[in-house]
Amino acid sequence: MKILVAIKRVADPDNANKVKPTADKVDTTGLEWKPNPFDEYALETALRLTENGKNNKVRQGEVVVVTIGNKDTETQLRSALATGADRAIRVEAEDTDLDGRLVAAALKSVVDAEKPDLVLLGKQVVDGDSNSVGQMLAQLLDYPMATFAATIQEEADGRLLVGREVDGGVLSLRLTTPAIITVDLRVVAPTSVYSKHTDAGFKYSDGVRFAALPAIMKAKKKPLDVKALADLAPGKTNGSSYFRFEAPPARAAGVKVPDVATLVNKLATEAKAL
Amino acid sequence: MAHTVNRYKADIREFHFVLFEQFKIQELFGKAPFDDWSEEVAVAIIDEVHRFGTEVLGPLNAVGDEQGCRLENGQVLTPDGFKEAWQKMYEAGFKSLSISPEFGGQGAPTGLSAITTELSSGPNTAFEMYPGLTIGAAELIEAFGTEEQREHYCGRMFGGTWGGTMCLTEAQAGSDVGEASTTAVKNADGSYAIKGSKIFISGGDQDLTENIIHMVLARTPGAPKGTKGLSLFIVPKHRTDAEGNVTGPNDVSVSAIEHKMGINGSSTCQLAFGDNDACIGYLLGTEETRGMRQMFQMMNYARVGVGLQGLAVASTAYLNALEYAKERKQGPSVRNFKSADAPRVPIIEHPDVRRMLLDMKARVEGIRALIAKGASHLDRANSLKHTGGSESEISYHEGQLELMTPLIKAYSSDQAFRICETAIQVHGGAGYTRDFPVEQYCRDSKIFSIYEGTNHIQALDLVARKLNLGGGQYAMALLQDIGKFVEKHQASEVFRKSIGKLSEAHGAVSSTAMQFMTWFQAGEMERVPLVANRFLKMMSEMVIGWLLLDAAMIACERQEALDQEHPDWSFYEGKKHAARYFALNVLPEVVASAETIKLGDRSPLDIPDAAFATV
Ligand SMILES: Cc1cc2nc3c(=O)[nH]c(=O)nc-3n(C[C@H](O)[C@H](O)[C@H](O)COP(=O)(O)OP(=O)(O)OC[C@H]3O[C@@H](n4cnc5c(N)ncnc54)[C@H](O)[C@@H]3O)c2cc1C
Repeated sequence: MKILVAIKRVADPDNANKVKPTADKVDTTGLEWKPNPFDEYALETALRLTENGKNNKVRQGEVVVVTIGNKDTETQLRSALATGADRAIRVEAEDTDLDGRLVAAALKSVVDAEKPDLVLLGKQVVDGDSNSVGQMLAQLLDYPMATFAATIQEEADGRLLVGREVDGGVLSLRLTTPAIITVDLRVVAPTSVYSKHTDAGFKYSDGVRFAALPAIMKAKKKPLDVKALADLAPGKTNGSSYFRFEAPPARAAGVKVPDVATLVNKLATEAKAL
Repeated sequence: MAHTVNRYKADIREFHFVLFEQFKIQELFGKAPFDDWSEEVAVAIIDEVHRFGTEVLGPLNAVGDEQGCRLENGQVLTPDGFKEAWQKMYEAGFKSLSISPEFGGQGAPTGLSAITTELSSGPNTAFEMYPGLTIGAAELIEAFGTEEQREHYCGRMFGGTWGGTMCLTEAQAGSDVGEASTTAVKNADGSYAIKGSKIFISGGDQDLTENIIHMVLARTPGAPKGTKGLSLFIVPKHRTDAEGNVTGPNDVSVSAIEHKMGINGSSTCQLAFGDNDACIGYLLGTEETRGMRQMFQMMNYARVGVGLQGLAVASTAYLNALEYAKERKQGPSVRNFKSADAPRVPIIEHPDVRRMLLDMKARVEGIRALIAKGASHLDRANSLKHTGGSESEISYHEGQLELMTPLIKAYSSDQAFRICETAIQVHGGAGYTRDFPVEQYCRDSKIFSIYEGTNHIQALDLVARKLNLGGGQYAMALLQDIGKFVEKHQASEVFRKSIGKLSEAHGAVSSTAMQFMTWFQAGEMERVPLVANRFLKMMSEMVIGWLLLDAAMIACERQEALDQEHPDWSFYEGKKHAARYFALNVLPEVVASAETIKLGDRSPLDIPDAAFATV
């Protein structure tokens, strides 16, 4: 299987207190950057789908990672390559020049050129939280889509059985490839994803795998292509603009209650949560 | 129930500063033997090791402490989760960084591998001892073993299939290693029959690896007394065939394990070799009675390793105390102390708490710089050797590392315990409970001043050996380096007073070293050990005061290009305050110590044994 994974970097959520909102943009000087966690889960999913879990040194497919961003975002691509992706593509652009529509349009061109069997994305990016690119891309490509995937099983005939977590249960979808899946947190649990090469019952380590230190050095030598946004989304520009950013109100101090009874009482009468 | 959440904290910005801004490791990248290295790769490795430490090793720290190790049916069982962590670590190639490419490693510069060691020891210092000693034992075989021995053992040990230990200590042979009485008698096939018992052997048994390779100091028949007569033997727990398959036991048994103050996740074993006269060992290399020399070469690295353990634990203790101080509210600000309804403030606002925090910060960052300096000398010597550097340059760098080694081992480990103690003090009563990690840090850190040569042994190494190394030229070179720094910066507007204190400390250390010379010449040898520990502390603090001020100068320069809103601005501001605090609060003690030594007090020598107490 050939899989395309879209990745975006975000300001490290642990250092969010350093973000100083100004009038119409967030000042990002001096921030530390991390891959969007849901995109990391998408990459982990892609690696699991292109290997036999038991013998994961041998690749059983190809994973291409793509990001749209400036030169600095190559750090996140290199880290994906170190984790196991085979190739990388960077589309040159500044974050401020992009919105979801433009990103989806550019990704469509990448998909047209690469012709993957599957496009994997995070369900949303933890900076803007708009949860839209996967859906827009599916529309542009006219591909079957499953969002919020928690489990994925590759069947013998190559179709993908996807478990989506919804209120009150799991909704199962069977997708014919080529297809788009956006993933949720639980997709990286030990038994969430099985390629057709991996034995049923195989248990992965919980979470996203570590990049082997030797692989970090070797990642420098894996291919990384750079493309121009204007070539991929000709004539299209950012259609969104921002008026104002405000920091969320500081949380009021909590109270300590002496016992459970008081807590229940407060929840019922003051918070009206019960 | 022990906490299974990570409590380890690290300030990654610090590592980048030390590596790239202060010691400029990137100057060595792109040329032999570090051709394949780049700043970007180093940063990525630091991030990944940090993630592994906080996600895998950190959550097992309190578990290891509370469960400890167990001895069941002759087999040591490590705490829950250690085995899985071991497997994960080796699967991901996390222990290949400093290993030579010949054995599948990356041959990383020591400056970088020192940081990754800190990032692994800090989350779980007990766990990290198993791979640490395994690598140490394998490096001994790599350096001194025959071709066959290297081939048979190194790959398996570096790859984590087999573990390794260092077996020096016996009941009567602790600091006095030369008293070791384990024997090795040559068999007809060239192997040796090993017989004797060792105590306090870290990782002496465990359930993490298929086999354990003990590096055992033992005496051959007729060998001289003392350390000169000792040889090193490779003694496996299980015998193996040529392919490395276990074929049967090798008569090595665990008589007991210790119940300890700290590092409870690390097994400390009493080992019996050859109780049934069926223990086989192999001489390391081809010559007998080389054991101590071989061991010593490795011990220098091991000593830096203990310094790193101290730094690692002290650093996370400091950062935990800092977090607590920002959250815990108690009392009004000192400016409002009279008003009963003044708002309660986080304790970080109280002057004494700020003093403790800055004291910890300055010491932690100073020790990190001291170790980074040692590592940088090693890397630079290595680089010069590969790029046709001059003899004198190489010898300068090697000499500085030699000189720094006892400072790194002893100062870091002594201070680590004290820094952890201060971290508890910042927490108040909470710090004394198991709800917070600092009490474990404190218990864990005490061993660092004892093993790998007690800190007094380090102090003796410094005053009796290292000061005079190369006719005293390395000590002179160090003093000159500091002298030049003082000269260059004494006119500094902001740091004039601090540089003045460094200059005074420099004078104090020089004159005390001269004093030792006169004592040696006058045959008053016994005075030297009396003040050796104090001198080691003086010298360490002089070097650290210098390195912190050096960092402050870099910080001043970099700050010029930044506005105050930039996160780096505060980082650099912190460097300046740490340096000034250390210079004005700790360096004066160096001068006072020199005065104290000059008093020439002999009372510890003169007091009769019977006068210490009536019991
Ligand atoms: C948890 C733990 C793990 C260990 N791991 C290992 C290991 O893996 N391998 C191994 O071989 N050993 C190991 N050891 C042993 C350790 O290295 C010794 O404990 C250490 O060398 C000190 O020896 P000792 O305990 O016999 O103390 P002693 O040598 O009896 O020292 C007691 C005190 O006397 C002082 N003293 C001793 N001799 C002199 C002297 N000549 N001049 C002045 N003062 C002196 C010491 O500084 C110390 O303060 C470990 C010990 C512990 C507790």
